[in-house]
Amino acid sequence: MSDAGTGRTVTGRTVLVHVGAPKTGTSFVQDVLWLNRETLAEQGVLYPADRFDEHFLAALDLMDLPWGGLERQAVGAWDRLAERVRGWTGTVIVSHEILAIASRQQVRRALDSFGECEVHVVLSARDLARQIPAEWQENVKHRRTLGYRRFLDSITDPARTGELASWFWGVQEVPDILDRWGGRLPPGHVHLVTVPKPGAPRDLLWRRFASVLGLDPDALAPETDRSNPSLGVPETALVRRLNQRVNHGVLVGDDYRLFVRELLAHRTLSRRVGSPRLEVPPDVRRWAGDLSDSWIGTLATRGYDVVGTLEDLRPDPVGGAEGFTDPDRPDEAAVADAATDALVALLEEVTRLHESQRRLEVEVESLHVELERSRSLWFRFKRRVVLVAGEHRTVALALGVYRSLRGRSSRSA
Amino acid sequence: MSLDRAAWSWTEHLRHGGTTTWAAWVAAARDRDVAVPAGWHPPGAAQLELVRRLADRPAARPLLAAGTFHRLADLVLQRSAPGRGMAPAPLAWPAPATLGPGFGAPPADPVDVPRAELVRVGVGVLAELLVRSPGAPAAARLPRRRPLSRPFQLCGAPVTTDAVRRSLAVAGQVAGGRPPQVVLLAEPLDEALAQVWSARVQDGVPVRWRGFLDRWARRAARGELPPSVDYPALAALWAAQVGPERVHVVAAPPDLATAVSTVATALGLPPARGRRRRCPAPQWQPLSAEGVDVLRRVGAVLGVRVAEPEHRRAVRRLAGLLAQQRPRRLAVPEEHRPWVARCAAEVAAALREGGYAVHGDLERLAQLRAGVPTGPRAGAELGLVLDGCARLAAQELVGEAEPR
Repeated sequence: MSDAGTGRTVTGRTVLVHVGAPKTGTSFVQDVLWLNRETLAEQGVLYPADRFDEHFLAALDLMDLPWGGLERQAVGAWDRLAERVRGWTGTVIVSHEILAIASRQQVRRALDSFGECEVHVVLSARDLARQIPAEWQENVKHRRTLGYRRFLDSITDPARTGELASWFWGVQEVPDILDRWGGRLPPGHVHLVTVPKPGAPRDLLWRRFASVLGLDPDALAPETDRSNPSLGVPETALVRRLNQRVNHGVLVGDDYRLFVRELLAHRTLSRRVGSPRLEVPPDVRRWAGDLSDSWIGTLATRGYDVVGTLEDLRPDPVGGAEGFTDPDRPDEAAVADAATDALVALLEEVTRLHESQRRLEVEVESLHVELERSRSLWFRFKRRVVLVAGEHRTVALALGVYRSLRGRSSRSA
Repeated sequence: MSLDRAAWSWTEHLRHGGTTTWAAWVAAARDRDVAVPAGWHPPGAAQLELVRRLADRPAARPLLAAGTFHRLADLVLQRSAPGRGMAPAPLAWPAPATLGPGFGAPPADPVDVPRAELVRVGVGVLAELLVRSPGAPAAARLPRRRPLSRPFQLCGAPVTTDAVRRSLAVAGQVAGGRPPQVVLLAEPLDEALAQVWSARVQDGVPVRWRGFLDRWARRAARGELPPSVDYPALAALWAAQVGPERVHVVAAPPDLATAVSTVATALGLPPARGRRRRCPAPQWQPLSAEGVDVLRRVGAVLGVRVAEPEHRRAVRRLAGLLAQQRPRRLAVPEEHRPWVARCAAEVAAALREGGYAVHGDLERLAQLRAGVPTGPRAGAELGLVLDGCARLAAQELVGEAEPR
């Protein structure tokens, strides 16, 4: 395999592990790989997945990470993935963004599980001024109710106490992630794909990914529309308020995923246009700029393969033309407008489900009638005896004798 | 003195049962001659502190005596904490400070690692030990009923009912038969809810106490209670089958012995004769709030490690290890008291009007506890986790007998 982007030549068994970061186009890349997995396999590149979230489940397994009940489907998922990796003779791609948070021990287990092969680690990264609001929004879409300012205070606190800050830096602190994942690899086997600045050609990020993964960007022209869509300020404020109302026993995990995240956030609110975008406030933008400078300085000395430019990681000193809109104090009329759209979407869904329920009720009723007809007189007699046995001890004893003669081991409840 | 040499020598000290703190170790500068293996990376501060605290527990003495403590220590040191929490903190290094890389988790003195993080690490160790040996399948059945023995059924608060059913079975009185006399074991509603929560967690559902109450608060507004503690519904269901005169209510028994004797008297059961009969382990163990919460955390991690039936066996094994004869009672948090109090009063009134034989004071069903903790305490959880790790490891690594 020859890599146009990096000029490296790979021979034998090669594993490319794409470990994140979240909100850098990872869902999009995974979808391209998933949809083209058969074509890729014909070209000697394995994307080992029988379901689209297989690498996510493997990551949960690797990191012992419960995830709202989904983890039950993840038992043994990493070992199965590793087995497929070891069984392939060409190039294998493993990709999931939560792998970014893996500890050194988990990284060691992951890399060791691939067996004898050449491992390359790929991390895609975007500037912090765009990642911070995206991460808060992702938190909101996962039932969190924390306000934006409190989120910012949490992640800018150097002590990093608390689960939220730990998770944020675990998946976003580029030098540390590469240290954990790439510490045992030659620097040339560590690839940092930078997300282009706004205004860059639409397919540039895809081309960067394709080059480092050794894929033909034109032959695998992305037809997917799967991405992790983002919300505007009033839409995010609305979902956060919904969380405050549905979190205490109203909606369980699956229902929340289905109705709030998928139906409302992804399929309804993310399609609204014209709302102000989430940004970082000026003070955090300055802080993020200083931090990014130090990262860029560190990364420049490491000898990693940078696909793109480290300058992409430096936040723009000023935000968008609209300026900063505080999601903790949103325009109430805009939130109400978003809520109306959400209500309409829910009413449409309720109507659809109601129709489906009516259809099923008719079907169940007719099945009941059919079942009753097919039951014999003997069955109805036995059922009557069991009912009477509940009230008359003699009948119960007789039934017990009958059952013991017949050899039945169970008893009526 | 270098950080790596000090960390290596201290880790070795801890692996062999040492309990010196990191600060004292560094101050004593005992690492001059040690050679650090190439590629070695110090474990996280939480892992190291957990090993240090484990060595201090009496439950770890069999491991120390057998010279196998290092195997438990390695299990701790080589695993990351499961689930979400703080990133593994590197060891703090005293002044003159060597500047860190400028990124990554801030360094920590291990004694300052929050208890919640130590619990998280310990939960991972418990899960690992259980995955390696999840325990034998539970024997499901009570002994067979003796012919012509008095037919009866028990229902009500799950942990109390299970314990009474088992105590009677050991004494030769096995529930079953038709038409039964029915005894409803009614605990005060806050205790009953705590028992349902405990039973749910012991059945492998990793639900938090507050989350459990949040859900039932909404269902209670629609007139629903968990089926096993919806006493009026249970009593009415049995009354419809056997008549209200055959339904007894044992209200708020103060302890298990009283509950058993009251039930025996209500049913007119003869005193136990002959040898006691063997019974399988309880379906639901009596656990403290902290015990349930530890079980919940470990159950959640086991959910990603093993499938059924190993998951159920592992959870049951740990529940047996965490069981206490008289677990500390748990109260409902302040925000849940109004609905629990309202339901409790309605339950007591409905039972009073049902015409059942009542043993005890129905008023006590509506008396909610006050002045006791309303949730698991982190300090007590850490103690349970440490002892659980030590005892499980002792059973696995030394061959100590499993408690019955």
